[in-house]
Amino acid sequence: MRKLMFALLMVPFALTSWAQNKKEVHILSANDMHAAIECFPRLCFVADSLRALYPDLLILSAGDNRSGDPINDMYEIPAYPMVSLMNIVGFQASTLGNHEFDSGQEGLAKLIGMSNFPYLCANIQPAAKTGIHVRPWQMFDVGGVRLAIIGVTALGPMGKPESHPDNMTDLEFTDPLQTVQQYKFLRNQSDVVLLLSHMGYEDDVKLSAELPWVDLIVGGHSHTQLKGGEIHNGLLITQNVNRLARVTHITLTVENGKVTGKRAENIAIKGVKRENKVVAKLADYFTNNPAFDEILAVNDKPLSTYEELGCLMTDAYLKAANADISLQNYGGVRYDTLSVRGISVKDVLQLDPFQNSLVEMTVTGNEFIDILKMCFVNDQARFPLISGATAEYVLDADKKQVKKVVLYGPDGKKLNLKKTYRVVTNNYVQAITPTNRKDEGHSLGIGTAQAIMDLLKAQGHIDYQGKTCVKEIKK
Amino acid sequence: MKLKVNRKTIEIFEGALVRHALLRYFAVKGLDVRLVDTLKVTDRWGHEIDLDAPASQHSAITFRSEKIKVKSEI
Repeated sequence: MRKLMFALLMVPFALTSWAQNKKEVHILSANDMHAAIECFPRLCFVADSLRALYPDLLILSAGDNRSGDPINDMYEIPAYPMVSLMNIVGFQASTLGNHEFDSGQEGLAKLIGMSNFPYLCANIQPAAKTGIHVRPWQMFDVGGVRLAIIGVTALGPMGKPESHPDNMTDLEFTDPLQTVQQYKFLRNQSDVVLLLSHMGYEDDVKLSAELPWVDLIVGGHSHTQLKGGEIHNGLLITQNVNRLARVTHITLTVENGKVTGKRAENIAIKGVKRENKVVAKLADYFTNNPAFDEILAVNDKPLSTYEELGCLMTDAYLKAANADISLQNYGGVRYDTLSVRGISVKDVLQLDPFQNSLVEMTVTGNEFIDILKMCFVNDQARFPLISGATAEYVLDADKKQVKKVVLYGPDGKKLNLKKTYRVVTNNYVQAITPTNRKDEGHSLGIGTAQAIMDLLKAQGHIDYQGKTCVKEIKK
Repeated sequence: MKLKVNRKTIEIFEGALVRHALLRYFAVKGLDVRLVDTLKVTDRWGHEIDLDAPASQHSAITFRSEKIKVKSEI
């Protein structure tokens, strides 16, 4: 009887102890934000609301925080607006996406230095001289739960993240899976192991089969919209489409040092009204940055045709890529006139608003003519503009096809059509010109608008009045 | 780089986005490339993806649009 009484007395203590051992971890995760500054007032409202409910809320980013809006990417300190806003929202860790490298090693080092949170990436080894401070992993105490986060980023075909190679000259990268496996010891030191991954959904699913000691993967890179999260091989995987359309609220139940429950739900960000007004003011401040009125060059004579402006663009591409010939689709020139005055950053972004980037291909003269003809067909029957050569063309009777093209070199002589040339164009033109060329080319990781700005800055004064590079021969 | 768009294999430059893969598909098919921005795109698992996703991350994509009728691929 005494034993029974003792057992009954102990029940409340046991229940209390069990309840104390059962804890919830709440995580708010974003991925591929790509400089969606305009969404931060809403994101901050969501983060503050969740933090009111769950004071130990952990806020994470799975990389590619920048690259997607010139307001952020061309700021005096490139990408500073995003870092500043992420600091205010209270991000506690981010991994490195491939676009984090877009402002070069020096730019990345600066951004990391200004961030109030660590960048976690296990498969990068920066040389000491770069000043880039990245940790492979970090342990977080989330309301008494030990949560280890390991970061990892995807490598492209060249064994480095997909950014311009010049941005990564002093950085070494190692195989993502093999590298992450080296941190298996964290399983014994923590209650939860989280992989903050910029590998892409398909690779995250593959990783889940190889990493049974990990509890969940907070993913990014492929811009894949999951409904909350998905369980693969026992691991919870989360990801959303880009530019903060949605974020994920993850809830983990942890009992006696083990994760016993995992669930995730999406929260809409873009287009939802309730927002943090202070952050809205800051976002407005960044958006109305007076630096965008900076004069890059002075236009000495008024420009009145698309062709003149297009020639300026193709000259910029030619110089940026040091190519033989450059090409711009007529429909991509979005500024019709330019008076005698200074040309600002805003003007360039209006002239070329598509955030295209340069693609380089090696093609023969004949293959280049095929590209010109196909570009005409898919650019609403408008002949493209070129630099490094000039072209004469003849249209067919109904003006829907280019019948003949003759190319001339800078010396005025006909181009050798069997010879190969390094051709640079924007990625839109590359995509809309399916021809039988051997080389599909590769992205140079240089924005077309940036190339134009660089040319203007270098020249100081421009004179494109009357400049022409293509001529229709009418029969 | 190759990937499938609505079951047709297309070749596109390294570093292309999903948008460029769709533009290439439309150009090959003789469709109006201006419609690409209106498409709803899914990956091979049926998840929604956006047009700015890196094409290298997707081996096969499918698009839907009520405005476009394409003969199904054989």
